[in-house]
Amino acid sequence: MSSRDLESYRSGQPAQLADVLERVLDKGIVIAGDIQINLLDIELLTVKIRLLIASADKARELGIDWWEGDAFLSRGNGHSELEERLRKLEEKAGLPTSPERGRSDT
Amino acid sequence: MSSADGAAICTNGLGWYLYGVVGAGDKSPRLDAEGLAVDPGHDVELVVEGPLAGVTSRVSLEEFGEEMLPDRLGDAAWLEEKISAHERVLERVLHELSIVPCRFCTVYRSERELRRFLAERKDALQAALDRVHGQVELGVKAFVDRKRFAAGEASRNEKIRDLQERAGSAEGGTAYLERRRLEQLVSSEVERLRSTASRDIHSRLLARADDGLTLALQAPEVSGRDNQMIFHGAYLVDVSEAEFKATLGSLAVEYRDLGVELELTGPWPPYNFVPTELRAS
Repeated sequence: MSSRDLESYRSGQPAQLADVLERVLDKGIVIAGDIQINLLDIELLTVKIRLLIASADKARELGIDWWEGDAFLSRGNGHSELEERLRKLEEKAGLPTSPERGRSDT
Repeated sequence: MSSADGAAICTNGLGWYLYGVVGAGDKSPRLDAEGLAVDPGHDVELVVEGPLAGVTSRVSLEEFGEEMLPDRLGDAAWLEEKISAHERVLERVLHELSIVPCRFCTVYRSERELRRFLAERKDALQAALDRVHGQVELGVKAFVDRKRFAAGEASRNEKIRDLQERAGSAEGGTAYLERRRLEQLVSSEVERLRSTASRDIHSRLLARADDGLTLALQAPEVSGRDNQMIFHGAYLVDVSEAEFKATLGSLAVEYRDLGVELELTGPWPPYNFVPTELRAS
């Protein structure tokens, strides 16, 4: 392998917290039955936790408080009015309308 | 086990936190660093039971108990600290041994229960361990830089070039509409790229791995990157990692011209390649 190849992709940075959370909370062997708590019961919670931690700093920087309320599901709420107006304009102009904001295809 | 039984066992209020399972015959990993464990007041230790050993440390049941845990999980600072410790311990072991990682907060009330689990589930655990023997998990992500992608596309795609020119020369409302059209065209081309690139990247990496799967794409808030993630995969790879990395290197060079950047994460404990559920009898 040439040194050019070695440098062609990013690596070796400290692990992103989001990647750690996704693995440690969602993956790994689960022992059902005789451990004292079944984490699966509270799995729903973790979706929000994981987004919260990974994003709070960045969002705060941008002055967005999307984690208030149902953050995960209502992303982009603050812009819905603007988007609606844009969509109407586009319809009038005979353009395909804007794609939905939101998550990439998870 | 009944809860009355459990209460009788843990009179000192300490439970056993299980990070993962290793083979007992293998060499012992160095786990003596202070403050390594999820409960920094206790050391990480191996509990050997037959051919297997649990990587464990004692934890306060007041902190990790069933009643407190749901609240704790809502505490971002607590969660971040403990999750990081869980991962740190496993990574320490991974330097020297193959390991079957447990999910966060696998806690036993007593050593007896922990040992019983290791003994009773010996076969399933051994099978899981054999599967990941000598292997680690590597993560691969691909991001597209939309501007660079569009610039590259313009040289290949006449429609995009045309729209770019029209958007540049038009004024006012017309310019806005042309830009809008251009954006939509670029979006659909990015979508096409996502679909073809993820198939190509995954199949070529899979050929250099023992196993692999695609993971959910992360939104920018989660990935911490402005560029759109178009691929996310995890692979079970021989610890030497050489073949896999060579292929990743070639892919990165090929995709660079399309404005796509590849990123390697890990080595991780093989979280994605162990059974998701192991029932205790």
